[in-house]
Amino acid sequence: MAESVVTTVPGGWAVLAGILLCGLAFFAVALDAALSARAQGTGGGWGAPLGRAARLLRQRRRSTVAADTLLWRIGGAGMLVGAFLMIAVIPLGEWTLADLDVGVVWFNTVDVMVWALVWLAGWGANSAHGLVGGYRFLAHGLAYELPLMFALVAPAIAAGSLAVGDVAAAQDGVWFVVWMPVAFLVFLIGVTGFSVWGPFAPALAADIGGGVLAELSGVDRLVLQAGRYLFLTAGAAFSVPLFLGGGAGPVLPGWAWVLVKTVAVLAVLVWLRRKLPLLRPDRFMEIGWMVLLPAAVLQDLVVSLVVVWKG
Amino acid sequence: MLVGIVFWVLAVVAVTAGAAVFVVDSMARATYALALSFIAVGVQILLLGQSYLGIITILMMVMEMAVMAVYMVMFMGMNPALMPMDMTHGKKTAIVASAGVFVLLAAGALLVPWPQRRGVPPEDLTHALGLEIMGEKMLVMAVVGPVMVATIVAGVVLAAHRTRYDRFGDDLRRRPADDPQPGGVGR
Amino acid sequence: MGLSGALARLAVRATRVLVVEVPGHWATRMEVEHQLLRRGWRPAWTPADADVLAVCGAPGPELSELVDRLWEQMPGPRVRADITSPGTVGSALDAAAALLLDTPHHRTDAQERAQEPEIPEDADHGGHGGMDHGEMDHGEMDHGGHGGHGGMDMAPEGIPLAEGGEDRDGLEMDVLHLPLGPVLPFWPAGLVLRCSLQGDVVVNAEASMVDGRNDDEDDGAGAAGPSAGPAPAAVVRCDQVMALLALAGVEDAAACARRARDALLCGDEDAARDAVERLDRTVRRSWLLRSSLRGVLLLDRAGLERHGLPGHCRGDAHDRLLSRVERIRAEAGGTEPTPAEDGGVPWAVVPDLVTGLELGSVRLAVASLDLDPHPAVQAVGHG
Repeated sequence: MAESVVTTVPGGWAVLAGILLCGLAFFAVALDAALSARAQGTGGGWGAPLGRAARLLRQRRRSTVAADTLLWRIGGAGMLVGAFLMIAVIPLGEWTLADLDVGVVWFNTVDVMVWALVWLAGWGANSAHGLVGGYRFLAHGLAYELPLMFALVAPAIAAGSLAVGDVAAAQDGVWFVVWMPVAFLVFLIGVTGFSVWGPFAPALAADIGGGVLAELSGVDRLVLQAGRYLFLTAGAAFSVPLFLGGGAGPVLPGWAWVLVKTVAVLAVLVWLRRKLPLLRPDRFMEIGWMVLLPAAVLQDLVVSLVVVWKG
Repeated sequence: MLVGIVFWVLAVVAVTAGAAVFVVDSMARATYALALSFIAVGVQILLLGQSYLGIITILMMVMEMAVMAVYMVMFMGMNPALMPMDMTHGKKTAIVASAGVFVLLAAGALLVPWPQRRGVPPEDLTHALGLEIMGEKMLVMAVVGPVMVATIVAGVVLAAHRTRYDRFGDDLRRRPADDPQPGGVGR
Repeated sequence: MGLSGALARLAVRATRVLVVEVPGHWATRMEVEHQLLRRGWRPAWTPADADVLAVCGAPGPELSELVDRLWEQMPGPRVRADITSPGTVGSALDAAAALLLDTPHHRTDAQERAQEPEIPEDADHGGHGGMDHGEMDHGEMDHGGHGGHGGMDMAPEGIPLAEGGEDRDGLEMDVLHLPLGPVLPFWPAGLVLRCSLQGDVVVNAEASMVDGRNDDEDDGAGAAGPSAGPAPAAVVRCDQVMALLALAGVEDAAACARRARDALLCGDEDAARDAVERLDRTVRRSWLLRSSLRGVLLLDRAGLERHGLPGHCRGDAHDRLLSRVERIRAEAGGTEPTPAEDGGVPWAVVPDLVTGLELGSVRLAVASLDLDPHPAVQAVGHG
């Protein structure tokens, strides 16, 4: 293998990376609150995240009859931790926390963890609505995960490497999003999927009283909700080295471009949430397998042919 | 040194979590105890320098356990979160069999004359491992994949009690199909 | 004190309110929803998420008991607001906000209340036990009229085990008894649908009204309605459209429907017409919404006759949504009087309609019908 294209920074910088991730997630919450306030015709909203967090910190925790508290809390707290694991392999310009040679697979592994975590959070409360929510998420997972995996394969084939830094560096001419739009789209669908976000939120939907969230209060609710926003942010950030050329861009330094692109993708995902209806799991299952999966595989085929043809 | 300690801690976690599968009294806990055991093993493989194998082990096993929990709950006739239940069956046979297998494997691990390392590990372990496993058998592997998928699909088709005649009518012309739960593509 | 006081003041800005509507007091409920949004507050979907329990109207004995149970399930700091008329909403919410800030009061409350969640002892009487739990005591999810279980009288923590039954594929599957309502977000006020679920498919259901309000009492309802402005039927219809859109998850469109509703309610005709036009455009344009509602509770002519339903219920949930928005447009525009075929759907047919549907579809199906429990609509058509 060639020399690594990114510099691995000492572990202490993880704190800064965590703060950056939290800041971006905070932006997502604030944007969502502001859009919500605008749609409702009420002013303000940008300050709402602070109020929401304060409310949940002040609220007491609660339990239910015969709850499996251990699994329940693992489900919530795991969401918070998982997102931080995800960003370990995302290079910020030329620096990365862990230059893993299989960074793309690492990302995939962390997002698969969400399957277990959301189901556990739904199961642990011993509540019919929470359980329905947990199962709805697994049904969505079965439909979005395989297309997402094949979408992740496309940039890896083109770059000839599973290391995230190499994938970003392989786009110095033209960004992957230009010639793998299908993979990019499927990737974004996957990101909304594992963040239980927007169209993929039937697990948390109003028709089952909030589903997985139905019995959560106080800090337990806060960590699960924060985890969702952090996962959404981490997913958006991962799309930058994978499809959007990493730190490439004029004038600004690489790290700034990564942040700008992340914010842009994140804003689009937050904005779309309010526009799109929920994708019902029973219907999306067929869409995932009959439309998205073949589309992603065809995209991989095209990418492979191009790579072979160019030698 | 540090790696050694972590390795042993993980080994203890893996074995303890594996034993917990039979001790805990709920199927969700049993399933995820097994998942924890696999994760510990996966991290151990990471410590051995096989990052691809280690991470893929964790990925596959977590996914598998998430699905397995659903099946465990589905096939168990009682609401399992509430009813404490014993996770063991046919204890005597099981204990004898597992003890025997353990002794066999442990003896194998201890008694086999492990070869000395020759040369140095290649720079890209994942690549080298892939070549070693797949290199000469690429065609076989490429064929086996589709055959396995076809087997799964055929198995499901044979097991399903509704046929295309139930869905599309006797002349196979009914559109959209008559399904108890219509899908999203609108076939 | 300084820090916790600041935290409390910050927290009160994001208060969540669980709104309980006593059947007939829709006007109070809408006023509460309107005012809490203006304060930057949001509605809560379950007691777990609620800081304020707002009871709109004076509940009967059955609903009172349920409200008390909801109150038990709120985590705290918690405040209860009993609101009897739309005029007192503002002051009641102000009082609730003030009480929410009173940290010592909540500390005492936390010490004095029950420390462990429990199932009330009377909850196990015959079949009616299940309905009291509204949507939240899922702890008691297996309630129903079951006695023993084939000699195995196992009931961990007082929760009887599920019984098996044949599902639609002819396989044996557990049956779970889950009451929907009367307190459930975007659900017709007072309706209780006791469902038997296999997986998330409703295999059997029974409907009733809380406190037996199936006769045409209109105590307080007339007084609660607005004295002037456009016909309440348009307001109620807007409310139903909002519920359906919210359940389908299109938040912007739902917000638009709510604004139209509030504008209609306070008689601001220009704003109402604007909002309705925008709603109409959004709903028509969204093909994803169409694909999500398509085929939900499809009723053809034979189906309508079998259930004795009015003609405007024809088609699937999306057809009904479009025709309803069309009618709101007509009513808000004041161009034509409400047609005479305007009968609502009696709630007693709901079980027949939803049996065999998946839980999410049940919610969409119920929201897509002009259910009768609203006395305003009841007075117009069905008697």
